[in-house]
Amino acid sequence: MAVSLGNQLFSPGLQRYFSVLYVLTLRNLKIRYRGSILGVYWSLLNPMIMTGIYTAIFGQAFTAYYDHSLLNYLLAAFTGLVVTNFFVASTSQALTSVVSNGALLNKIQVPMSVFPLSMIAANLFQFSVGSLPLLAVATLWITHNPLHLLLLPLPILELLLTCTGIGLLIGTLYVFFRDLPYFYELITFALWISSPVFYPAAIVPEQVRAFLVLNPLWPIIEGLRQVVLSDQMPDFGMMGLGLLSSTLICAIGCFCFLRWREAFMDLL
Amino acid sequence: MHSTSPTSTVIRLDNVSLWRRTQEEFSYDLKKTILSLIEGKYRKPARKLILDKVSLAIQPGEIVGIVGANGSGKSTLLKVICGILKATEGKVQVNGKIAPLIELGAGFDQDLSVRDNIILYGVLLGFMRGEMIDRSESILEFAELQDYGAAPVKSLSSGMTARLGFAIATDVQPDILILDEVLSVGDESFRNKCRRRLDKFWRGNATVLVVSHNLDFMRETCSRVIWLRKGSIQLSGSPDEVVSSYQHSVG
Repeated sequence: MAVSLGNQLFSPGLQRYFSVLYVLTLRNLKIRYRGSILGVYWSLLNPMIMTGIYTAIFGQAFTAYYDHSLLNYLLAAFTGLVVTNFFVASTSQALTSVVSNGALLNKIQVPMSVFPLSMIAANLFQFSVGSLPLLAVATLWITHNPLHLLLLPLPILELLLTCTGIGLLIGTLYVFFRDLPYFYELITFALWISSPVFYPAAIVPEQVRAFLVLNPLWPIIEGLRQVVLSDQMPDFGMMGLGLLSSTLICAIGCFCFLRWREAFMDLL
Repeated sequence: MHSTSPTSTVIRLDNVSLWRRTQEEFSYDLKKTILSLIEGKYRKPARKLILDKVSLAIQPGEIVGIVGANGSGKSTLLKVICGILKATEGKVQVNGKIAPLIELGAGFDQDLSVRDNIILYGVLLGFMRGEMIDRSESILEFAELQDYGAAPVKSLSSGMTARLGFAIATDVQPDILILDEVLSVGDESFRNKCRRRLDKFWRGNATVLVVSHNLDFMRETCSRVIWLRKGSIQLSGSPDEVVSSYQHSVG
């Protein structure tokens, strides 16, 4: 079977794909912020308030693990929260994105993957103007080493790849299983509690800690902390492993999406 | 069917069949699927033949009407031609820019402004963003919505929304125009305006595919009518002949 629709597109395929991605990302941001650019900064309130709460409640108890510095605990909690918040927000938005645009997909021929990807892209924009400058300032202030600033994109890239992979995968599954959000909530809770966001990894019992490594967010959070919060050279072995596992997750997500997308239209 | 050289054909379908999963059989539920797997009651979702070996060749400038009962596959056929649905078997060839007028306005984002929706819808239809920004004035003017540019689409009436959809999709002369029951858009004066614009396209040698239950309209405007029955072409020919035998069969 061959379908030649090449001439139907006004612009060449890839160019069209990116302009569709661009307008959909813009739509997501516009709806989220209702014309106020300050709205982007509103999204920073959440990790900041949560960091404050964790520091107030757990800070004293765990301070021994952070060189007896409450500030170190606060920074560790913030870096962890930035990662988990980005993950939870972008993937749960990607989850419903294909299905909620089903009416549109039944009217106009649009490449389906732009819907989950536009959700990730909107979150990336929000991250780039909100948390990223804060992380960059913290990096320079703590490490005094511009090299760490150059390494900062690496854990962010890992995070993006992981979110893209998981977003495409669950976006696919949601087409077939509409009760998925219920299960996904449970999964995100498990991922969140098993990420060393507000507690030091050292308090987890040895036997359980072996399983925590399976959490795809673990190497990302650890990598980000090594870049931002430590003046020592990051552990490149772990970073490489994180990059490898996130690339793998992204590849699995893409594969599943491409494999099953032909079946989507019957269920939208 | 007439045999013509493939180069002059705008739309060509060779033995196109489409199987679709029937939605009523489908549970849409992870819990139920897992439980039925455990209980051993799981069965593969059933598939239904929606289009059965449809072959079709449409030349530039033809106005082709499609008639048939509800569920005979008319809209599905249009979706296959638009590229929205992929044929299970057979070959689909389309040469030219399609303007799909299917349920106008269904693709709008209710919360975005009319102006933003013009750009969004236009880009989804395959135009460039810059081009849509330049054209939004003329689109607003045709839809008679100049005062609503900044208003969200949800504040428009359904007639206004349909007018906007029509104006965006037809702002540029398309090669192929696909009309699925949209000729009853808006009030009397806007309908006349739509007719004039469509007449202009027809004179401009656009190929038109139209689905309608208005058989008088089909008889008047189409150059050829196709009668679809249970997913396959029952009859194809002159409007009078096909419409009469279709009317005869439904009694």
